[in-house]
Amino acid sequence: MDDLSFTVEPGSVTGFLGPNGAGKTTTLRMALGLLVADRGGATFNGRSYRDLTEPTRTVGAVLETAFHPARSGRNHLRVYCRAAGFPISRADEVLHQVGLGDAGDRRAGGYSLGMRQRLALATALLGDPAVLVLDEPANGLDPEGIQWLRGFLRHLAHVEGRTVLVSSHLLAEVEQTVDRVVIVGAGRLVREGSIAELRAGAEGAGSVVVRSPEAARLAQHLQGDGRRIDLEDPTRLTVTGATTDQVGAAAFAAGVELHELASHSSGLEQIYFQLTSGTEQYAAAPAGSATTQGGTR
Amino acid sequence: MSALVRSEWTKLFTTKTWLGLLLGACLLAGGFAALFTGLAGQDGEGGPGLPEIGSAQYEELVFSVAANASVFLLILGIIGMTQEYRHRTATPTFLTTPRRGRVITAKVLAYALVAVPMALVVLAVTVVVVLVYAGARGDAPSLAGDNLQTLAASGLVLVVFTVIGVGVGALVRNQVGAIVGALVYLNVIEPIVASIGAISGAYKWLPGGAVQAITSDFEAPDLLEPWQGAVLLLAYGLVAALVGTWLAARRDVV
Repeated sequence: MDDLSFTVEPGSVTGFLGPNGAGKTTTLRMALGLLVADRGGATFNGRSYRDLTEPTRTVGAVLETAFHPARSGRNHLRVYCRAAGFPISRADEVLHQVGLGDAGDRRAGGYSLGMRQRLALATALLGDPAVLVLDEPANGLDPEGIQWLRGFLRHLAHVEGRTVLVSSHLLAEVEQTVDRVVIVGAGRLVREGSIAELRAGAEGAGSVVVRSPEAARLAQHLQGDGRRIDLEDPTRLTVTGATTDQVGAAAFAAGVELHELASHSSGLEQIYFQLTSGTEQYAAAPAGSATTQGGTR
Repeated sequence: MSALVRSEWTKLFTTKTWLGLLLGACLLAGGFAALFTGLAGQDGEGGPGLPEIGSAQYEELVFSVAANASVFLLILGIIGMTQEYRHRTATPTFLTTPRRGRVITAKVLAYALVAVPMALVVLAVTVVVVLVYAGARGDAPSLAGDNLQTLAASGLVLVVFTVIGVGVGALVRNQVGAIVGALVYLNVIEPIVASIGAISGAYKWLPGGAVQAITSDFEAPDLLEPWQGAVLLLAYGLVAALVGTWLAARRDVV
């Protein structure tokens, strides 16, 4: 990680995105005091994680689904209730919160991947924390589980006002959930901003695909305004820098027959891909430095 | 700290590992007590025989066998620490208590305290086997004086080995590696050191030598005085706990 710095705001879901090996997990582990950074640090409400008096009341973290396989889900939660000094009844409360109310007595080793993710989330919620840090929480979830997770995270942030930071290597996975994104590649910050800003950037990058028997003649009418026009074959062209409305109007004005007019905007995914392409790196990044400013509230 | 100790007990008693190891310890101690009683007074073939029932030597030997069950409590301590790394629960554990030294200290305290009743059970099994079997063979030892001291020493060995186990676990972290390493050390390395004349002088400074110094010196090379052995054994437990705490607080949790 190298000179990565960002802030996460309360009451919102922030997506922490980057390809595999970009350093997301490393950043989160450093922010939570599990790895030591050479330089820099992270603060929660202005204090580093290790200096928090009751850390799990402030920050709930899901970094991996880690349980003793022979221990029941309820007993797993009770272990951390005791360690943090919470009443034992919290174990049942969070089990119900994540929809595991009936599975509390079963051995965690027999849980499905989705149930493990829910139990890990329940562990993070024990202290009723204002900040939640989740590392790839959608991994291993089936479509129904992902749907549930999206709603759950939105509820935690927008209704309950918590700060949620959720990492993922897939933008599509969190696109409908997050308000802001922080995109990293190869240990460096690539982009930070609201999802609306990212979408705005994506619109210009989109293109319009036209199929017409008179594609060449239409191309002449579309020249100018900084548009780029690719005549791929005599019946098909791609226009970059124009909307479908503009292309349709131009075709109508020129009396050109159209067989297809489509916006080819792969949108956010395209932007995300462009931002992070060439930064994939599967070897461990050299431990440089991190100046991650963690969630504040 | 009491919350952390209770958390460790919850971890320990919500799986059945402790039960299996306690049963193993009882079987080993009871079995050897019966074996030594059964063979007492018989001449070994080509080797020295076991002392006769009724002799002070026999009583010291038979009440010391409980200390051999220490291998099970050593493993209990090793598993108690290494399971955090094996099942990756070290992450939530250290997230809940970021001052990791407190976690290891709580573990050492929790396991030392749990080892006391477990050691008492092992000693009780040993005593019952010896009293019944030796009584049937004619002379049940009295539970007084030197015999009580031997039993107390065996109990101390059991408790200290549990603490050493926690320290070894924090040191090695790999569960299989830690257990195999500890077994190889106790059953291969120490006996070799004790049996080779040129280096057997070092044996009295090893944990096994300390154990023999405070329990039974049957067929042992040169040993320390019992009180010195007790101090040395406690020192091993303390060093294991301190080194384990120091390492766990500094290493990355990945």
